Amino acid sequence: MVSATTIIPVSVERLTSESSQVVEARALSAWSQWNPQHSHIYTYTRFQVQRSLKGHAPAVVVVKQIGGSAEGYTQRVAGVRHWRVGEQAVLFLRPTQTADQTYEVTGLMQGNFLVRQETDGSSTVSNGVTGVTSFDPSSHQTASYQGSRMKLEDLESRVRKAAGQ
Amino acid sequence: MRPFNPYILVMPLIVAALFLARPGFSFVPLITAGNADAWSLTSFPIQWNINPTVGSNVTGATDVTTVITNSFATWTSAPNTSLPVGRGPDSNATQEGTSPSDINLICFVCNDVSFGGAETLAETISTTADAVGQDDFHGGTTQFAGQIIKADIAFNPAVQFDTGGGTGQDLQTVATHEIGHFFGLDHSGVARAVMFPFAPSVLVTLSYDDVAGISTLYPKSTPDVLTGSLSGTVLMNGSAVFGAHVFANSTTSASPFSGFTSIRKSPIGTLTFTDGTYTINAVPPDTYVVIAEPLDLPVSDSDVSWASAFGQSAVQTNFTTRWH
Repeated sequence: MVSATTIIPVSVERLTSESSQVVEARALSAWSQWNPQHSHIYTYTRFQVQRSLKGHAPAVVVVKQIGGSAEGYTQRVAGVRHWRVGEQAVLFLRPTQTADQTYEVTGLMQGNFLVRQETDGSSTVSNGVTGVTSFDPSSHQTASYQGSRMKLEDLESRVRKAAGQ
Repeated sequence: MRPFNPYILVMPLIVAALFLARPGFSFVPLITAGNADAWSLTSFPIQWNINPTVGSNVTGATDVTTVITNSFATWTSAPNTSLPVGRGPDSNATQEGTSPSDINLICFVCNDVSFGGAETLAETISTTADAVGQDDFHGGTTQFAGQIIKADIAFNPAVQFDTGGGTGQDLQTVATHEIGHFFGLDHSGVARAVMFPFAPSVLVTLSYDDVAGISTLYPKSTPDVLTGSLSGTVLMNGSAVFGAHVFANSTTSASPFSGFTSIRKSPIGTLTFTDGTYTINAVPPDTYVVIAEPLDLPVSDSDVSWASAFGQSAVQTNFTTRWH
């Protein structure tokens, strides 16, 4: 079991099945604003989609996350990390419930695999969840959780296989 | 995090706790405008307001209000900590988005929160002021940047919770962790801490690392146990290492918090600043080895807000573990 913001670690395959789109994308811009009720600050990040691994995403997607800074206040949920312009990520996405054509990250931060260029020229990805024992509340069984840091090409392969593409 | 490798031990040095007052964070706080997030104890009463309504996803012998009360008490009874927080009037809010600004809602039925799926068990949504003198929405103005003016905790209605003898995630374990966020703590890199982002199935007592965090944010004027600080700098090839996880690990079986039977002994950690310096505060008397390691899993940059708080793209992880 994981706390965070408390999450249960899930596999790449499950993230894939629960996402309508999986894309490789680069952050273009970001802004934060209060919602109309002035109860929540949301951060919106525009991504240039470089490759679709599942689904047919538009060329630019906007990902909505809770938290951010606006009008002199900051709101946050621990563990929710906003992207910086230029960052590249593999994003597991699904439409938000607000029908504003924005997307949310599946599994909160779990569906956000940041891409890192290694010194040997390879690319690795990590969503910061790995090497932990997951707890299945229904069976009260624990199991080794596999996921997280891996080569970009391995993640691509697992997503495509899980998506049947 | 990588396992310790004895071959890279370059300068083993047993360090006794130095009883120095140094600025800095002895834990991993949430940060706003360079300040650790915290409630003001003088601006307005700190209270939590529960909507005790639960769905069929919550089972067990204990009512949720008792579980939440016990979870708050775990923090407010911590050694060296003065944290007057009480239960306020119950709320009937069923949407987090309509939670009034002057209550701190504990909600089990709020389905308007972006959990991102059933994998997310709970969220704590905290609001802080970026500067002094802003409306605190309690009839006054904020006293410092980073002052928490509201914090709501939402438990995912799509997740099964157990209050004792039921099925699902242990509610008190989840609540105790979330309440750490409620008070301003970020995730810890110390594996035995309540604020470690990957907890075992049941963990409802604080570790020394948790105590260091909460007692630094809300210190008791006359501490139960005298504590000190450990300071230093993490350098690599002469250059500062930002965001290294540095922790003090006791080398003895001493129990400086022995008067508090529910407190578990653990390392006490923090992260380095942009100049590579660190200060581990609230360290009880003992003998320690100080260890610096990269924050590169299982806790990683994604789990903490340290890098963004200091205008950095990420914490630095291109080094190997060091003991001092």
